[in-house]
Amino acid sequence: MKRRNFVKSLALASAGTPILLNNIKFQSIGKKLFKVAIGAEDRVLIIIRLNGGNDGLNTVIPRDQYANLNIQRSNILIPETSVLPLTTEVGLHPVMGGMKGMFDQGKLGIIQNVGYPEQNRSHFRSMDIWSSGLIDNPPATGWLGRELDLSYPNYPDDYPNATYQDPFAISMGYEVSATCQGLMANFCHAVNNPFDVYNLSTSGSVNDGTYYGSHIEYLTTLINQANEYGGQINDAANAGNSLSTLYDANNPLAVQLQYVAKMISGGLESKVYVLNVNGFDTHDSQVIGGNTATGTHADLMKRVSDAVSAFQNDLMLLGLEDRVAGMTFSEFGRQVASNASFGTDHGDAAPLFLFGTCLDFSLMGTNPVVGNTVINQEGIPMQVDFRDVYASILKDWFGVATSEIQTLFEHNITYHNLLGACSLGVDEEELSKDKALIYPNPAFGNSTVRFNAQNEWVKIDVYDVNNKLVASVYDGNLAQGQHDVPMEIRTLPAAQYFVRIQKASGTIATKLLKVK
Amino acid sequence: MPEKENGSDISYSMTPFTGTWTKALAAHLLRRTMFGPTNQQILDAVSAGMVPAVTALLQIPAVGLPLTYHPDETIASQGAPWKTSVYPSDPVQAQAVNSARVGSFIGWMYENMNNEQVSIAEKMCLFWQNHFASSVTFDMRATYDYFNLIRTHALGNFKQFVKDMTINPNMLIFLDGASNNPFSPNENYAREFLELFTIGKGPQIGPGDYTNYTEDDVAAGAKIFTGFLVEGLRSATLTDVTATFTPVLHDTSTKTLSAHFGSVQITDAGGNEYANYIDVVFQQGEVAKFICRKFYRYFVNYDLTPAVETSVIEEMATALIANNYDVLPVLSELFQSEHFYDISVRGALIRGPLDMLYSMVNGTESQNNFSLGTDYEMQTFIYGISSVLGQAYLEPPSVAGWPAYYQEPSFSRLWMNATHVKTRFDISSFFTIYTGIPVNGDNWKVNAIGFLDNLSIPADPVQVIDDIVDVFCPKSVEAIQKLILKSILTNGQPDFEWTIQYNEYLADPVNPTFSDPVRLRVELVLARVFQTPEFHTM
Repeated sequence: MKRRNFVKSLALASAGTPILLNNIKFQSIGKKLFKVAIGAEDRVLIIIRLNGGNDGLNTVIPRDQYANLNIQRSNILIPETSVLPLTTEVGLHPVMGGMKGMFDQGKLGIIQNVGYPEQNRSHFRSMDIWSSGLIDNPPATGWLGRELDLSYPNYPDDYPNATYQDPFAISMGYEVSATCQGLMANFCHAVNNPFDVYNLSTSGSVNDGTYYGSHIEYLTTLINQANEYGGQINDAANAGNSLSTLYDANNPLAVQLQYVAKMISGGLESKVYVLNVNGFDTHDSQVIGGNTATGTHADLMKRVSDAVSAFQNDLMLLGLEDRVAGMTFSEFGRQVASNASFGTDHGDAAPLFLFGTCLDFSLMGTNPVVGNTVINQEGIPMQVDFRDVYASILKDWFGVATSEIQTLFEHNITYHNLLGACSLGVDEEELSKDKALIYPNPAFGNSTVRFNAQNEWVKIDVYDVNNKLVASVYDGNLAQGQHDVPMEIRTLPAAQYFVRIQKASGTIATKLLKVK
Repeated sequence: MPEKENGSDISYSMTPFTGTWTKALAAHLLRRTMFGPTNQQILDAVSAGMVPAVTALLQIPAVGLPLTYHPDETIASQGAPWKTSVYPSDPVQAQAVNSARVGSFIGWMYENMNNEQVSIAEKMCLFWQNHFASSVTFDMRATYDYFNLIRTHALGNFKQFVKDMTINPNMLIFLDGASNNPFSPNENYAREFLELFTIGKGPQIGPGDYTNYTEDDVAAGAKIFTGFLVEGLRSATLTDVTATFTPVLHDTSTKTLSAHFGSVQITDAGGNEYANYIDVVFQQGEVAKFICRKFYRYFVNYDLTPAVETSVIEEMATALIANNYDVLPVLSELFQSEHFYDISVRGALIRGPLDMLYSMVNGTESQNNFSLGTDYEMQTFIYGISSVLGQAYLEPPSVAGWPAYYQEPSFSRLWMNATHVKTRFDISSFFTIYTGIPVNGDNWKVNAIGFLDNLSIPADPVQVIDDIVDVFCPKSVEAIQKLILKSILTNGQPDFEWTIQYNEYLADPVNPTFSDPVRLRVELVLARVFQTPEFHTM
């Protein structure tokens, strides 16, 4: 989240016409131009915690596994005909029409089978792991807290200040989020209602250099911070707007997301908003027997889907879509087989949603393979490490240097292309590593892909969202350096595609949107 | 942090304090060992003298059992204990009964804190709950037994405490001891036993070697601990939850400990083997140091400087070993020491949520006394607030306890952030100038009038403010703050106006025309005191 030497939003917003800035060739990146205006500093990440362990198999339903799902969990299985199909392989829970609409518009991404090695099935421990991004070390800090510590090492001393007037992160509700715990303080400010007024007084005592004195100073800092942050939040909420009519006032998540939309549109510069939905620990009565598309889990997923799609709609109406991305997570998925109480017990990996207009993908990973015999306590094996999702978000969304990201985690990070579609600008250095740039994108006719190779064999193909090959672009050796390879895609129907560049040095997948 | 305080050297001496025994020192002792001493309790400790005051604190008064109040309890009678009551055989009904027992248990636990005598009991229970940081199980009888074990051993023998905790059903469930057997070993308890409960994890000095123990010791411990099962959970016939040793589930092989334990071999001793192993572990002096550091951080100061290590911790650990791990003499020595009363450690901790909440009501002599159900539900309301503020009893965030007690470098500062400041301030308004906790048509808040009546000179506004600050703030407040507080009390009038108002109330105490204004002024002062940084230290 460090301020990088990209184009400052002001420079472009005030200009309206392309400006040549040092080392950045705007002409060559066509449509990208309009997205460059958004600097990493302006970007917002929404994190929605599905607390309790969400049943992934009844959320993103593997349509090609129905026969065996019926063996494993017939008493809670949603009728095949009710499932909302996204692709031939996967569909969503029938109540998730809002999110299906987002998927169809390329605003929802699904990463299959996210988890971590040797899944711990304790709620406490597993949530600690997800919040901290650490498996072997004690969860003293959160993954975002560590990143913020690197950028703002003296926090909370001297914050807020003239440059950083707003809290770095906001958690909706009364509790600060463990995700934002830094070494010295939590970067989160909890907001139950942004229209709440802060007017706390201090006592004027000073730090006399003792233990006591330093605590008094610390507490005084917090009181001042509460007032200043509270004032900023209050001002933003009052100045902000919300244009969508889709929010349901009886849906607590929708109410909170509407608050978030108001705070963002009101100019609050917080980078992260953490929200929480309780109730996913569905050991019993997950569904209503005989009517499996209804029940506790259906209610929860409807709440999430309705709220997120209303929020996305609001962002579009407010013109904020390219500034905001979101993700969901849950501490674990649930077991493949259901239990006799119409519920499911603690399991392992589960799908994870990302949302926004800057997604590089729509469906990542393959369906879990469901066996034809019930194995006691079997969960879904992990395919994507959740820490790699975090790392990729930091890289794609906040433009954090990979060398810095690596320092935040215990394992060797594998990056996935998740949120790079609204480029932060052409960072030639980053491009030289593992990025590809498609221009123009969205493409009206043909398009070009730019990437770096290292004197190696390169194969470039275009796939549709069902992972079906629709065009082969290139297959051969390329010299070391940057390459611009034209893609004959004029005849492809308007849709979302992925350009996959396979190289000896690694595979890159980048989203391509074809329009008429 | 400073080696000197106000220009004078910090004393690290564990010899008995011989200076003048003042109200400020007595208040320090009582604040650290109780949840919220009253002005009178502090004055009593002053007149008793330091040693008798410490002795009086170091005893554990008996408390009754949690009682039934919720209609969902269908086995035990209303108003009676459920501790030896079975569960309904229908699982749905059993769940409802257990929920009723959870409510009763929480109400009872929190009421114990609210009703604390001049005793370290409640603070010790919280200490041990943080140390053996188990959460509730799904049978509240087992959870009660776990908590009762804590209370029983609160000032007792640490070694015996660890032995009993090892085979406590709540703990056997919480750390998977009940599913640890030779066919599917589970190292959960064996690991926390070494890392968190007894000897502590030192720096890693080799592969799987944490200075005080090794991974092989964890594996050996897991084998040693095998064989225990828990019976009676949610039973419709058994009136208690018990741990039973099942020989066929015990690993009878000989276990060899690492060089850190003298490469001792633990041979098969069936259901007594765990105790033999614990005896071996307790032969290591590091066990004494480990628990004494925790005592120090909890009762004195978070900062374990080299001087504290060499002078205080060494001395405490030596005393603990000399007393064969009896806790009481060590704490007695600590609370009588020069170091404990050194000005440098006063106010060196930030109050945890439970300290903050019960200080407001206990400090103002406010005990709720409505019906059983109303009282329990009011205490449960405080439980909810304590949860929001980050310290719900029996729900520690992990088996390591609350981070504010162990997490470097922030320690007790972790109780506070810009959000919790606002919440704490809002709650203190709620408890003082607003309605207080509403349950079943009754309201419970600070006891402003009763509190005022028991101050040394209630008619003198200067003395009233001095007393209030003495009770709630470890190092007083600035002179200007006292003037502000006094002006709140007198509503900006000259001091004698308060004296007149108070005397009018005294002459006709049941007449709200006179008592209401007095109560409101004191509530406003308390609200202001509870919203100073000073109050949130101790």
